[in-house]
Amino acid sequence: MLLNRQLLFLFAMLAVSVGYLVSALSLGAPVGESGLTPSFFPIMVGVAAIIFSSILILQKLRTKSDEDQDETPSSYTHIGVVVAVFVYILAFRPVGYFISSTVFVFALILLFSSFEKLLQKALISVAIVVIGYVMFQQLFGVRLPTPWE
Amino acid sequence: MDFIILVLNSFSLLLDPFNLTYVVLGFIIGTVFAAIPGLTATLAMALLLPLTYTLSVETALMACASIYMAGMCGGSITATTINIPGAPSSMMTALDGYPLQQQGKGALALGHAALGSMFGGAVGALLLIAVAPFVAELSLLVKTTGKFSLLAFALIVVVIAQRGRIPQAGLAACIGLMLATVGLDAMEPVTRFTFGNANLTAGIALMPVIIGTFAIAEVLTQAYSHTDISAATAAADKVKIRRRDFLPPLSDIRRIGFATYFKSCLIGYFVGTLPGAGGSMGSFLAYTETVRTSKEPETFGKGNPAGIVASESANNAVCGGAMVPMLTFGIPGDPITAIMLGVLVINGIQPGPQLMSDQAGLIAPMLAALLFSAVLLIPLTLWAIGPYFIKIVSIRRDVLYAVIALLAVVGSFVATYSTFQMFMALAMGVLAFYLRRNGFPVITMLLGYILGPNLEEFLRRSLALSNGDPTTFLTNPDSLFFVVLTLIFVYFLVIRKPAELKTATSDNQGG
Repeated sequence: MLLNRQLLFLFAMLAVSVGYLVSALSLGAPVGESGLTPSFFPIMVGVAAIIFSSILILQKLRTKSDEDQDETPSSYTHIGVVVAVFVYILAFRPVGYFISSTVFVFALILLFSSFEKLLQKALISVAIVVIGYVMFQQLFGVRLPTPWE
Repeated sequence: MDFIILVLNSFSLLLDPFNLTYVVLGFIIGTVFAAIPGLTATLAMALLLPLTYTLSVETALMACASIYMAGMCGGSITATTINIPGAPSSMMTALDGYPLQQQGKGALALGHAALGSMFGGAVGALLLIAVAPFVAELSLLVKTTGKFSLLAFALIVVVIAQRGRIPQAGLAACIGLMLATVGLDAMEPVTRFTFGNANLTAGIALMPVIIGTFAIAEVLTQAYSHTDISAATAAADKVKIRRRDFLPPLSDIRRIGFATYFKSCLIGYFVGTLPGAGGSMGSFLAYTETVRTSKEPETFGKGNPAGIVASESANNAVCGGAMVPMLTFGIPGDPITAIMLGVLVINGIQPGPQLMSDQAGLIAPMLAALLFSAVLLIPLTLWAIGPYFIKIVSIRRDVLYAVIALLAVVGSFVATYSTFQMFMALAMGVLAFYLRRNGFPVITMLLGYILGPNLEEFLRRSLALSNGDPTTFLTNPDSLFFVVLTLIFVYFLVIRKPAELKTATSDNQGG
């Protein structure tokens, strides 16, 4: 692989920093007649971020050959968690707290364990969601969404 | 003196069953989170932050104080009994705590840890109560240019304190500053970096940043690493602890010496006042100082109770120290004080020099709760549930992380009833996860985000007042003081230390 994951991340950071600086420059001149403008500080931050990203990329390129073995993550569960949270947020209001949360908690328990004892895990999920409801809605007076509202 | 009386009067608030319940519950939750390896009291506080909306500011801050105190001592339970520190601040405790456990004196080690934590927490809180009003008065002398230099000092120190990864810390701070610049400009009616999204006009809210950075990122990290806890569970099952063994004998305490307790407290307290230092550095420095001045240094690492006391006194004294810059200047020293700052901000209270004089009534109960947690809750919790605490490392991780994820996502909704804030928390969680995976310290990102708005505002105001003359930062005495202080820290942390290390390495190679 030409670029390892860390290097890819650093290039992504550099790209974000450059994008931020370009956006900051589009806000106008950094110094106006009345002093510093809203673009001055972001320009400084953008330049600093580009400098730090470049230093890190150079450091990484120098030591790259020594650390190429750490390429494969130990699991892809974290991506499953991100997808689960994303879908949960999408479903939270339209489907309501109870159904969306039960499915979400069940999915997370499965992601962190195995596809065994599904009934027990489903019951635990329901129990967690009910306790969560009591805590948020009854104890702290937070209004949680339901499909009939 | 008035403030001390106010704090003493605030103890009456702890007699209110409602407040007392939150303080005790906060302490137990903080202890549980600190005791479980991989979880932290910071995570507990991040998860509970949304719930503070429904509480009065006093109650919320009192609960935060007890979580903070618990977080510093809870890690000693697993550090001592199974040699796995529940929190980084208890790493040094394991060095002497675990050998004592192996000698069949685990309960005694926990007793020493609790006594050290109790003493450290109490001294730290008392110093805070005594010193904070004076620092607050001094802070009123700091004007606009001085405020900019002070904030710049805090940010620079946090970055350079990350030895060996300063560029990573610098970039993380820049990312925090970038996040802080999103939304409406503080001085002119101009929106920045919103890309037409109306939800971003008010900026990125603190709540999703904290929940994402500490809670969602933690779940993702655990999902990625899939930590095997079977060894810890098996070790915990073998541990048997009896209550009657907790109390350290007077002869042990005499042998350790009052000086060790007090010196470690002072080290912890002063380390706490430095931005970014935290409990682990406090306990490390106190431990090494105790070994250095001991008449029997060879006994450390083999079960010397003085090592446990030094580490635990120092890390609990950090609690009091870390609150000094937070309360007087609005500069959080670590993630927990950053979240406490969040509690103030979401309740519309502006932290800074005026806080101690204008809102002393809100701050005093928090300090009373800090002292109460140290003196009463640490020993009581150990006595009441100490023998069973070790079993919590056996808790099912699948259920635990599912609960944390649920609390985090629903918690980010609770703050604003906004789906956008939930997505923002997820985005912040993913960002913090990748930063952590790549060795970036997220505390510098958080501090950049928190300090960014004031840093920019004071920079622009200072230069406006001086007609654009940047030498104003050197000609104003308050600003010059912080510039010099920054240079001193840069010298000691960046220039001098690496040179010493290099010399030591070449000496070793030569020898």
